[in-house]
Amino acid sequence: MSNFTRQEVLLQAENISLRFDKLILRDINFQIHNIVREGHNQGQVVSLIGRSGIGKTQLFKILSGLLQPTTGKILLGEDLHPVKSGEVGIVHQNYILFNHRTIEANLKIGLDHCGKEMTDKEKESVIKEYAGHFDLLDHLKKYPMQLSGGQRQRVSIIQQVLTGNKFILLDEPFSGLDALMIDRVKDLLLKISTLHEHNTLIIVSHDIETTLSISDTAWIMAAQEGKEGATITEEVDLMKLGFAWNPNVKKEAAFRDLIESVKSKL
Amino acid sequence: MNQLKQFFEPFAILKSRSILLLIVVQVIIALVVWQLTCGALIPTPTKVFQKMMSILGSSEFYDDFIASVSLIAQGMFISIAIALVLAYLSLIPFFRPLVEFVVKCRYLTLTGLIFLFTLLSSDGHALKIYLLIFGIVPFFLTSLLSVIDGISRQEIELCKTLRMNNWQTLLEVVIRGRLDQAFDVMRQNFAIAWMMITAVEAQSMSEGGLGTQLIKYNKYIDLSGVFAVLIIIFIVGVLCDFLLGKMRIWLFPYAKLQSIR
Ligand SMILES: Nc1ncnc2c1ncn2[C@@H]1O[C@H](COP(=O)(O)OP(=O)(O)O)[C@@H](O)[C@H]1O
Repeated sequence: MSNFTRQEVLLQAENISLRFDKLILRDINFQIHNIVREGHNQGQVVSLIGRSGIGKTQLFKILSGLLQPTTGKILLGEDLHPVKSGEVGIVHQNYILFNHRTIEANLKIGLDHCGKEMTDKEKESVIKEYAGHFDLLDHLKKYPMQLSGGQRQRVSIIQQVLTGNKFILLDEPFSGLDALMIDRVKDLLLKISTLHEHNTLIIVSHDIETTLSISDTAWIMAAQEGKEGATITEEVDLMKLGFAWNPNVKKEAAFRDLIESVKSKL
Repeated sequence: MNQLKQFFEPFAILKSRSILLLIVVQVIIALVVWQLTCGALIPTPTKVFQKMMSILGSSEFYDDFIASVSLIAQGMFISIAIALVLAYLSLIPFFRPLVEFVVKCRYLTLTGLIFLFTLLSSDGHALKIYLLIFGIVPFFLTSLLSVIDGISRQEIELCKTLRMNNWQTLLEVVIRGRLDQAFDVMRQNFAIAWMMITAVEAQSMSEGGLGTQLIKYNKYIDLSGVFAVLIIIFIVGVLCDFLLGKMRIWLFPYAKLQSIR
């Protein structure tokens, strides 16, 4: 096992609470650190685990700057500035794309707003490169409605990567997929996370086993007895436990025990 | 037998040949029923058909036809422009009351306003255009607004995460992204305009048009003439509808991927 350390803070949630007609979220505090792993371009994969209806999606929107929390703030980057929408990408559960654009044009719109000056030629070659990497070359001229769910999901993720978003939130990326596809999505996510040192994937899911098997850190969201609203009740450091970046982790008995104990806490 | 069952199955997908068969059979049934049931008052299909041929053979018809079509094209074009602008403006809070008012104008009846429009317009042509616009825009706008209402929050959020500002989002999602649906709204509302054409043309007969033909035949109680013109108007309308539908798929190839019918 190679050496790794957690270094500077990349994202910090500070005292987040959210109230609609009742309190949904309260006292949410966590930090995502840059993980430095010797000999690897190691990004971060963290997960938020909780029952459905607990407020994961709302937290998501807060993290991406789309929803203003009732109290608290989300801070990003080295200077820990408040998040603005457009800094954190979202890949929705139903893989929303622009249906009136071809796949190529959908990817191009990501590059159009990436903040770098690029000629159309350069954009085209970047798109080709990613499409080749992620098995989409044959589909560039098609429209989103002509793609399968899995292919659309890949387009959605790459669209966000091309926009230059280092943080990408994934809402239930494994839902509705068969076992084989789940493995492919896992590979895809790991690949994205290692594209850049600072790439950070935040996965919201109720598929505990799959999510934990690719995460380096997980937060458990749950309600506490006698208190209104959900909060983070526990942090699981999979890196320290030796479960991170281990392709065969699902077979380990200790990992199975961990899953059971997480399940009991939801 | 199986095929026969398919004809009555919801969501069944038919071959285009079967669909054509269905249409032909139903038209024939309709014609036969018409031929058999009409008494002395209503002209038979054969008589109407003969009349239609003689109308189609006259040069007068083509002038009227061109007059009607160019009037409707002009009216539609202006109405679409106005309705689109209003629909897009509806997203800007300042303009919302105005847009709401125009939508509610569907409940205003034209008849009472003809006098007002007559005073406002310089000639018969302008009057007809005004009436068309006034008749079409509220319906057109209503449909456009429901297209805009159908846009999901998530699509707007996608734009935000892609760092587009509000104006870029408007352009991408509402304008570009819904052009195909705006086009379809136009196609659907073309029917309303086409239906109005005869009533509008009656207001000023000097320019001719299919509507004036209809009035003429009505005046002489020439029912087979009335029917013939009606059928011509009907067929031209259906044909335009068909062409616009084809045009939509040609202009927006992704549009047909989304319909279930
Ligand atoms: N706009 C809203 N107004 C009031 N309550 C809401 C609103 N949106 C979501 N909620 C409530 O917030 C809670 C959390 O919802 P959500 O974040 O979607 O759950 P999850 O993603 O964990 O399944 C739910 O109990 C839901 O009823």
